[in-house]
Amino acid sequence: MLEIRALSKSFGGVKATDNVSLDFADGSLTAVIGPNGAGKSTFFNLITGALRPDAGQILLNGVDMAGKTPPEIVRHGIGRAFQVASIFPSLTVEETMLAAVGADQRRASVMHHRFPLAETRDRAEHAMELLGLAGKRNRTAATLSHGDQKLLDIALALVLDPKVLLLDEPTAGMGTEERWRMIDKVRELWEKQKITVVFIEHDMDIVFKIAPQIVVLCYGRILATGTPDAIRSNEAVIEAYLGSDDHAGAVA
Amino acid sequence: MIFVDLDALASCLASPACLVTQTTSGLIIGMLLFLVAVGLTLIFGVLKVVNFSHGAFYMFGAYFAMTAYQLSGSFALAILSGAVGTALLGLIFERAFMSRVYGRDVLMQLLVCYAFVLIFDDVVRMIWGPEFKSMGMPAAFQVPPLFIAGGVVPPYYLLLIGVALVAAVVLGLGLARSRIGKVIRAAAHNPGMVSALGINTGLIYGGVFALGGMLAGLAGALAAPVRSLTPGMGFSVLIESFIVTVIGGMGSILGALIGALLIGLIRSFGSLGFPLFTEGLMYLFMVIVLVSRPTGLFGKEVA
Amino acid sequence: MTELQAGQGAQPLEVPRIDARPQRYRDLLIALAAFSVLALLPMVFGSKQLLDFVIRCAAYGLFATSLNLLVGYTGLISFGHGMFFGLGAYGFGLMMQKTGVPIPVAFVATLAITFVVAVVIGAICVRLKEIYFAFVTLAFQMLIHSTILSWQSLTGGDQGLRGGIPRPPFLGIDLSNHLHLYITSCALLVIGLLLMRQIAQSPFGYTLRMIRDNATRASFIGIDVWRAKLVIFVLAALFAATGGIIMALFVSGAYPEFAYWTISGEGIFINMLGGVTTFLGPMVGTVLLLILNDTVTRLTEYHGIVLGIVILFFAIGLRKGLMDFVVEWFAQRRGEGRG
Repeated sequence: MLEIRALSKSFGGVKATDNVSLDFADGSLTAVIGPNGAGKSTFFNLITGALRPDAGQILLNGVDMAGKTPPEIVRHGIGRAFQVASIFPSLTVEETMLAAVGADQRRASVMHHRFPLAETRDRAEHAMELLGLAGKRNRTAATLSHGDQKLLDIALALVLDPKVLLLDEPTAGMGTEERWRMIDKVRELWEKQKITVVFIEHDMDIVFKIAPQIVVLCYGRILATGTPDAIRSNEAVIEAYLGSDDHAGAVA
Repeated sequence: MIFVDLDALASCLASPACLVTQTTSGLIIGMLLFLVAVGLTLIFGVLKVVNFSHGAFYMFGAYFAMTAYQLSGSFALAILSGAVGTALLGLIFERAFMSRVYGRDVLMQLLVCYAFVLIFDDVVRMIWGPEFKSMGMPAAFQVPPLFIAGGVVPPYYLLLIGVALVAAVVLGLGLARSRIGKVIRAAAHNPGMVSALGINTGLIYGGVFALGGMLAGLAGALAAPVRSLTPGMGFSVLIESFIVTVIGGMGSILGALIGALLIGLIRSFGSLGFPLFTEGLMYLFMVIVLVSRPTGLFGKEVA
Repeated sequence: MTELQAGQGAQPLEVPRIDARPQRYRDLLIALAAFSVLALLPMVFGSKQLLDFVIRCAAYGLFATSLNLLVGYTGLISFGHGMFFGLGAYGFGLMMQKTGVPIPVAFVATLAITFVVAVVIGAICVRLKEIYFAFVTLAFQMLIHSTILSWQSLTGGDQGLRGGIPRPPFLGIDLSNHLHLYITSCALLVIGLLLMRQIAQSPFGYTLRMIRDNATRASFIGIDVWRAKLVIFVLAALFAATGGIIMALFVSGAYPEFAYWTISGEGIFINMLGGVTTFLGPMVGTVLLLILNDTVTRLTEYHGIVLGIVILFFAIGLRKGLMDFVVEWFAQRRGEGRG
């Protein structure tokens, strides 16, 4: 259970996140939408410790994450992937996975282990299989296609067995067809791994099709939360964000 | 171990004569350092390159001045040839070598400079010999020293401080007012913009190196009558200029001035209070500044 | 977002691949073989000059390889790594001269002192980025150098530690015997390299590569970047100090030059010469630089010019180290062979 309580953050007087309270049930899949500058990325950065909240709590199973550093928060079980794939250019896919597991096992300080331990290898293998990267294991990350780099970024978060997975625009910079493949992948991961997934998305078709729960942010505040149907018919959302008629193609 | 001699420092601080003498000697160290450091900081600001071989310009400035003085007997000509000679050297060095490593990693840039530290020192050794040389004080300045508040001040020191100050003011005004100065400052802020304006960046880069070389050469030429000349003399100056630029903030001209004067005063007064640890004092000061303000006193905060 | 994307610009480097098969003992076997060859060398060539050369290679090789853990593996360009070489030499020399403890005790105690100093200096330095890290390490190097120069009563100032370092025999090893010193140096070199290889290939070694490639991402997979950098800074310092100890034993003294910035400069150059992308690159670089130094010094008094031109050839001409070049060439040949 991830509970956000009255989370706030401002930059020089501008409230990027304004008194946001939200609950993400275990195993839920939630889309966060909102126009540009709505504070979606700030929201993610607060939860993952990239930014320090001015006020509020981020409770993961009752433990407050607010004020903790990114590594601490990751170790508590909140993983994230980035809008622009954030990977390790010189490592191969397999090395990236093995190294991430190795660091996660807190063997960083213990140097008598050599790769590959059976357990390390299994976890890395599992993550590569899940994201369809097993066939590209020996490719250096820098040589992967844009889409594969995004997958690798997600695999990096996933290989740590997070309780909550935050995906900042998994489909950013992709063509229509690729977007659907990626989002199917995300849904598949969610179903298989039974973890809490929260993702930011611009494409309304995608959001309404796959997300059981939607959060609409606007000017740092929550405008509405609910099922796709509820959001579609929400007056405030229609007025402030979707526009009155053409909501299907609305890409902010 | 005599690290500390605070009595000597205290008695000096209490005596106006000693204060004047030490301050003057601190000022000439500071002004010479400023001339070297300001080139270093300009080059870093505009080119984002740490010119590890900048001390060589100082060294060449001194040797050029000595040779010119011995050949012509004219002190003015000596200073001029020190400055102009190193300006040319800076231009050639930049166009032929440094321009090949822009944008490459810092390691490569440091290595190219390291190579030239070795090469330049040996070139000087080849041309002028390995032994200590002395240019000698020009006849015009072989006059009794001035006494200010009881402190001894050689007239040449005043000239040295004066010339350095003029150079600082001209440089400051030039950068602030002239068109080329504005372009250089713009380049320091945003390198991409200059080429967008259709200005030849190669010319600007070479020019900045020439300017930096000229200032360091001027410092070397001015120092020649009061310092002994030896291959490798550039290196200690380089290290001190580094400290100055790091303390003042890489890329900041005002920072270089303040930093240089601080280091000059630390050196002159520190030599009284901490006779054997004067250099250590500078490094300690640098460490303290870097730890408390990593970008230096006047450096821009790194976003 | 710029901060989050900062690591993206990192140059992709070729790094040693993780081998799928467990090869736990391969490095050990190679190390044993190398040690055997070195140990048998005196029986084949009795030349004292050659053995001296190998001892110097051991001292500088440990130093340069440890520097590569920082520069090549972690992306920390230290311009003051030589301070630990100097610290090792002076610490060990002083301990032997002043206290008269057995050599192994002095060895361990020197490493303990280095450990403490490296933790303090490292804790300050590793917070800073890139060029500022280089500067502050350089400043610390010079600080230690000027302390050595000024603390004359202890260190002998610019004269260095003179009068020889006593080398009493221990466990049947007599380091004042040239052959014993040679074998001991070789053993220290091989053990040191083996340990560093282990660090480089361990999960921690890959943590370092991740920090080099993209420190921000590393922190978002749970790596405490500052801590990891500090750990490798201290470890590298210990190996550098071991190199310094060998040097002190070899020259039976310690000189301020051991702690001067040029040692760090040479270390960086050695890395460049040999290449930072292979584990043994710095070792190759060490051998090359020492040969180069010795030959050039014999041929001309202007060895700075020759050395400078060689550096320029590698930095501007080849744009990579010798081992990088060799590895790439082999990779290309293999690629052609398959295709």
